[in-house]
Amino acid sequence: MAKAKEQATDGLPNGDNIKMEGLAPKLMQLAGGIGAVALAVSLGLGFFGGNKSQFMHSYLVAFAWVLSIALGALWWVTLQHLVNAKWSTVVRRVGEVLAATMPVIALLSLPIVIPTLLGDTTLYIWADGHKMHADHLLHKKAPYLNIGFFAVRLVIYFGFWTVLSRFLFAKSLEQDKTGAPEIRAKLQGLCAPSMIFLALTLTFAAIDFLMTLEPTWSSTIFGVYYFAGAVVSFNSFLALSVMWLQKNGRLAKSVTSEHFHDIGKMMFAFTAFWAYIAFSQFMLIWYANIPEETEWYHVRAHGGWGTVTYLMVAVNFVIPFFGLMSRHVKRNRKALGFWAIWILVVHWLDMFWLVKPHMHTEDPPFSLLDVTCTIGLLGLFIAAAAFNSQKVNLVPVKDPRLEKSLAFENF
Amino acid sequence: MSDEHKADEPVSTQTGPLHGILAEYETPTALVNACKRVRDAGFKKWDTYTPFPVHGIDRAMGIQMTSLPWLVLVAALLGLGTAISFQWWTNAVDYKFISSGKPMWSIPANVPIYFELTVLFSAFAALFGMLALNNLPHPSHPLDHKKHFGKVTDDRFFLYIEAEDEKFERDSVQALLEETHPASLEEVPEDHSTPAELPRKFVYALIILGGASLIPFGVFAKMRASKNVEPRIHAIGDMDWQAKFQAQQPNPLFPNGMAMRAPEPGTVAAGEPVDDDHFATGKTEGQFARTFPAAFKIDDAAMARGKQRFEIFCAPCHGQSGAGDGMVAQRASELAQGTWVPPTNLGLEYLQKMPVGQLYDAISNGVRNMPAYGPQISPEDRWAIVLYLRALQKSKGAPVTDLNPTERAALK
Repeated sequence: MAKAKEQATDGLPNGDNIKMEGLAPKLMQLAGGIGAVALAVSLGLGFFGGNKSQFMHSYLVAFAWVLSIALGALWWVTLQHLVNAKWSTVVRRVGEVLAATMPVIALLSLPIVIPTLLGDTTLYIWADGHKMHADHLLHKKAPYLNIGFFAVRLVIYFGFWTVLSRFLFAKSLEQDKTGAPEIRAKLQGLCAPSMIFLALTLTFAAIDFLMTLEPTWSSTIFGVYYFAGAVVSFNSFLALSVMWLQKNGRLAKSVTSEHFHDIGKMMFAFTAFWAYIAFSQFMLIWYANIPEETEWYHVRAHGGWGTVTYLMVAVNFVIPFFGLMSRHVKRNRKALGFWAIWILVVHWLDMFWLVKPHMHTEDPPFSLLDVTCTIGLLGLFIAAAAFNSQKVNLVPVKDPRLEKSLAFENF
Repeated sequence: MSDEHKADEPVSTQTGPLHGILAEYETPTALVNACKRVRDAGFKKWDTYTPFPVHGIDRAMGIQMTSLPWLVLVAALLGLGTAISFQWWTNAVDYKFISSGKPMWSIPANVPIYFELTVLFSAFAALFGMLALNNLPHPSHPLDHKKHFGKVTDDRFFLYIEAEDEKFERDSVQALLEETHPASLEEVPEDHSTPAELPRKFVYALIILGGASLIPFGVFAKMRASKNVEPRIHAIGDMDWQAKFQAQQPNPLFPNGMAMRAPEPGTVAAGEPVDDDHFATGKTEGQFARTFPAAFKIDDAAMARGKQRFEIFCAPCHGQSGAGDGMVAQRASELAQGTWVPPTNLGLEYLQKMPVGQLYDAISNGVRNMPAYGPQISPEDRWAIVLYLRALQKSKGAPVTDLNPTERAALK
C-alpha cells in the first residue's frame, strides 16, 4: 500500500485523475455480478434445461465475440510497442488492462472446451475419432482434428496469449515505478517475434473454434477475417472504455479529441479491411464454384440466412463506412460512441452468422441463450478488466513517449 | 537593406517594384504569435514558411478546413460509377461473352474493378487536388533570390505578406511586423530575372514530344483501316516461333529420325470397313438388328459395365432412370433460354419397341440434338449401354411378380 501511495503522488503534469480507486470494486461487483448470474442462468438452461446444443452454439458466439475483443487488445498493444507509436501512449494502459484479461478468457472457454475434450460432438464432429475415420472426406484431416492435438493447441494459444499480455502489462507497470527508459526498446524488440506468433496463434484459434464447425469446408483467409473483426471491435471497445472513464472523471484532460480521432481512424480503416477480406474470401469461392467450397456459403445465401448475409454487407460495411468517414464524426464523442456501439453489435452478428448456421441450417432463430451467454461473458470480461485496473495508473506515467502523446495533434 | 544582400543578388531585382515584405523569426512560437496579429489585421495574400510542420499554425493563420476531402469523395464516386458503367457496357452490352458459366452481368466478378477504379480516381484527386489547392507547381518565386531565405529548410521561420493584398500599405505593414519582434525584416522586390513565360526550349520540347506520342495512335488507326499483303510484324517472337517439332520435320530424338509417330498396332481409322457389321454398326443386311451380336456376351458383368457407362455418359441429360430429367436438362430448362430441346424419356413405348441395333446406332452416330458418342465409347461399351437401357425400360412397367420374395418384403 505504501508503494501505491507513492505512485499516486507522481501523476500527470496536467493533474488528471488516473486512478480507478473506488470505481474498480464497484465495476467489478456490478459487471461481475450480472455476468455471473447470466452465465449461471445460461449453464442452467443449457445443461439442465435440455438445450445443450442451443447453449453450446450461443456460448460459442459470445465467446468468439469476447475473445476477439481481448485478442484485438493484445494485438493493438503489441503493435504500439512494435512501431514505437507515440500518439497512443495515453490510452495504451487501457489496452493493456483489457488484454491482460487473457487468463480469465482462457477459463471462460471451458464450457465448450470440456465437453469437446470429453468427446461431445454437438459443436465439432471431429471430437469423435470414429466418425472422422469413417468419413471419406475427413479421415485425412484426423491427424490435425482430434481431441489430443486440440488440447495441445489450446494450451499453446492461451498460454502464449496469457504470457504475452501479462508480461507487457507487468513491464509497463514496472516502468511506472522505476521510470527505466530502456524498457521501451526491450519491449519493441520482444514485440517483433511476438507479433508473428500472435498472428499464427490467432489464425489457428479462429480455424479451430469457428471454421472446424464444418470440417469439410476450408478457407485459408479465415484467420484474417476473424482478425479484421477483432481489431475493429477492440478499437470500438477502447473508445467506449475511455469515454466511460472520462465520464467518471478519469483521464479527462489527457485523452483529447485528437486521440479519439485516431481511434476512429482505426475503426474506419478496419471496417473497410473487414469488408475487403470478407469479399476476398467470398469472391474466389463464388467464382470457382466448387461444391466442397460453396456449401458453406450455400447455407448462408438461402432462406433466412440469405437475409442476414445481405444485412451483414449493409450493417458491417456500407453504413459504418460512410458513417465513420467524416473527421467531424471521429472527433465528436457522442457520434463516435454511437458507431462504436454499432460496430460491437454488428460484429456480434458476424460471430452469430459464422456459428449459428451450423445448428439451424434453414433460418436464424434468436434465442434467450444468445442474450444471456453474451451478457454473461461480457460482464465477466469487464469484471476481469476492472480487477486488473484496481491499483494501477490509467496512463503509463513514466513512458518516455507520454509527453508527445499528451501534446498529440492531427494535422 | 544591407550591402551584404546587395552582393548576393542580381542587380535587376533591387530596382523593381515591391513584391512583398518578409519577416524572419527564430522560434515557431514567435511566428505563431505574429500570424495571429496578421490574421486579425485582415490580410488575405500572405503565407508562412517553416522547416517542419508547426502545430496550431493553421488556426493562427485563420486557414479554413480544406475542401480536399469532398473533392476526393466526389472523385471516388465518379470512379465507382465509371467502373460500374464500363464493366456493364463491355460485359453485358458490347461484347457478350460467357466465362466460367457466370451470368453476362454479375456483380461479384466486377467488384475488384469497382474497388480499383474507386481507389485510383480518389488517389489522383487527392494528389492533383492537393497540388492545385496549394498552387503547385510553382516554378519560381521572388523569395528564391533571397539567399538567407534558404534557412527556411534549416532553423528559421518566415512570414511573407504580398504587396498585391488589398490592405497592403508599405508603412503600415512594416509597422505591424515590427511589433511582432522579427529577427529581421526586409522588402522583397519583384523578380524580373526569371521570365514570366516558359523558356522556348521547353515549349519546343513539349511540342515535339506531344507530336511524337501521337505517332503510335496514327499507326494503329492506319493498320485498322487498311489491308496489307506483307507478313505481319512479329512483336513477340517466342510465341510465333516456338521451339517444337512439326509434322514432316526430322527429329533426332527418335530412333527413326522422324518427328511424326507411327500409330499403335491395331489402330483402326474412323470409318474404316470392319468384318462384323452387326457388332460394329448394329445393322444386318441394311436393316437394324433386333438381336445383340454374337460377339457381345450378355452377362452380369456386361450389365454392370453398361450401368456404369450409362451413368457417366447418358445420365447427365437423360437422368439416372432415363426419364429425361438429368442435371443438365434440369439446369437448361431452369435457364429457359428457348433453344433447348429436352432429352427424350427413354422409357417411351416406341423406344421400348425399337430394335437394339437402332439404339446402338443412335448412341454411335447421335440423333437430333444428341451428339455422336461413337468416338468416345468403344463398341463393347455401347452394346453394354443398350443392354442396361433395355433393363431400365423393362423395369418401368415391371409387374411385382417379377421380384423375388426378399425384394418384395423389402418393398413392403
